[in-house]
Amino acid sequence: MSVTSQVGERVDAVRQRARSAVEPVLRAGVDAVRPVRQRQIRYTRDLADRSPVSVSVPYLFLAPFFVLFTTFLAFPILYTVYLSFHNYQGIGSATLLWIDVGPIDFQLTRIANLEYVGLANYQRLLGDGLFHNALANTSFILFVQVPLMIGLALALALALNASWMRFKGVFRTTIALPVSANLVAYATVFLLLLQEFGLVNYVLTGLGLPRVPWLSGGTQILGPLAGVLGDGFWPRLSLVLAVTWRWTGYNMIILLAGLQNVPTQLYEAAEIDGANRWEKFRYVTLPQLRPVLLFVVVTSTIGTFRLFSEPLIVSEGGAPLRATRTLVMYIYNMAFQQFQLGYASAMTVVLVGIVAVLSVVQISIGGDDDA
Amino acid sequence: MREDTRRDAVWKFLGYAFVLLLVVLMMVPIYWIVVASTLPEQAFLAAGTDPRLIPGTHFLSNLEALQSRQGVNFIRSIGNSVLIAVVYTLLSLVLCSMGGFAFAKYDFRAKEPIFYTILATLTLPIQLLVIPLFLMISQMGLTNSYWAIILPWAANPLGIFLMRQNMKQIPDALLESARIDGATEFQLYYRIALPTMKSSLAALAIVLFLFQWNLFLFPLVVLEQGKYTIPVAINQIVGAQRVYYDQIMVAAALSIIPLFLLFIFLQRQFVSGILAGSIKE
Repeated sequence: MSVTSQVGERVDAVRQRARSAVEPVLRAGVDAVRPVRQRQIRYTRDLADRSPVSVSVPYLFLAPFFVLFTTFLAFPILYTVYLSFHNYQGIGSATLLWIDVGPIDFQLTRIANLEYVGLANYQRLLGDGLFHNALANTSFILFVQVPLMIGLALALALALNASWMRFKGVFRTTIALPVSANLVAYATVFLLLLQEFGLVNYVLTGLGLPRVPWLSGGTQILGPLAGVLGDGFWPRLSLVLAVTWRWTGYNMIILLAGLQNVPTQLYEAAEIDGANRWEKFRYVTLPQLRPVLLFVVVTSTIGTFRLFSEPLIVSEGGAPLRATRTLVMYIYNMAFQQFQLGYASAMTVVLVGIVAVLSVVQISIGGDDDA
Repeated sequence: MREDTRRDAVWKFLGYAFVLLLVVLMMVPIYWIVVASTLPEQAFLAAGTDPRLIPGTHFLSNLEALQSRQGVNFIRSIGNSVLIAVVYTLLSLVLCSMGGFAFAKYDFRAKEPIFYTILATLTLPIQLLVIPLFLMISQMGLTNSYWAIILPWAANPLGIFLMRQNMKQIPDALLESARIDGATEFQLYYRIALPTMKSSLAALAIVLFLFQWNLFLFPLVVLEQGKYTIPVAINQIVGAQRVYYDQIMVAAALSIIPLFLLFIFLQRQFVSGILAGSIKE
């Protein structure tokens, strides 16, 4: 008992000593801090006096962009969703809100006269053969064109990245040149090149190959595959060729930049380990290039889903619609030729949903699970 | 060892052959446009039996036929396209650089949510907003005006992303010392940020110009005769009852060649412009 009280006293004494040693320092510290603190308070007050400018500066810089962004991008996205539950009855003019105070005269009117139909538009999609057909055409282009183009672009980027390759700048420019071509102009040119008696078939027959019905379609030449590929195969392939021509160089440039960012030490290390060409590609290049490849795949997928001018022109030039009609073409047709804006909006929502799902899938497959 | 060098030679040969083949394939349509625009129609339509690969002398008469065409004034549509693309590019550059400056150089409460909202719209096929945009434009009474095509895409998400990425490289100390010297915040943007960002602005300008130059679906919906841009004008010629290919080839050459020259000239900026958006983050 006495032992514990003795210990307690000693502890108290130590505490006391410590406190008396620390206290003046603390007090001095507080005194030292006080003027700084006061200066800070004064500064903040000054700021408050000078503001609202100071605080709102970033918002002011952002405002012009943000106003246009919400008006023409964010609002239309929400409005598309809203429209997809309605049927369109014409342009609206009903006044919803009218503020008229001297200089301010603000009038909010309803953009369109609409009738609420619930999920009817979406139900109609399920049974619409033309929609399914357009979806199938777009998928064909997606699964044939995107791998073909990215394969080509990657091979080109690897070749142009090789140390022994000369005239890199010239090659890069000529291969990327088509990206600057006017969409409608190049589509028209492809239409002419792929005519039955056009230049492409001239070259093919010159090589002893059969004449291909690029635009008109048909199952000649396909042989046993005819039943599987159908007579829309050649027109769809024409679209694939045109799109590939235009975008390969663009993707090559992006991949080339990705390749140049791969540290050379990694290749040296792989060489010391005795890796051959394929192993270096498989275990160094591909993993290092993954984020860039992912970017290319996602943007190409989005690009496929907005194909419009190429198929439009190819179809007007004689290709059968059911072979080349893409989703955006069908949406355009519904919206602006038949004026079924609600139904077209529902298709748009579904399309955006598909693109979003595909992007997420691609990102999760190619994403950074750094193995 | 000898085995190895022989294999290397094979790889080099394959590499060159592949690249050259692609160069030829990329150039053929372009060369053919140029040649066809200088030939009478029958001459290049007979390509399947008698291909001509040497330019002729019919360029001007083809152009005359194109110009005398009812309903489409092609030269005027070139002017329209240039005007729209230039105004659009300038406007968008101002908006994107100001916004990018705010995102790169200030902290504010709503920064992250706003920025990620803008980024999210990058993955949308924006051509699909044509329906609500069409309704809004007609409600605003802007149908058939140049603004109808300039305004909707002036707030370009890709542009703000590129600008933010690049403006992050401006040292904060530089801005701070200018602040102490009494510069206003706008002067920081205008006198410091913009001049140091010249090359990124050039790169973005090319990307924006090409984007606007190629817009097709929306102009097709909102524009009427006289205000047509090049893609709409060409589509008008293609979609007519009897297709005059000689006129189309002149139109195609006129729309493609100037852009190619511009592209070759500004290629470096274009490349860095694409790259800034694609790599990292």
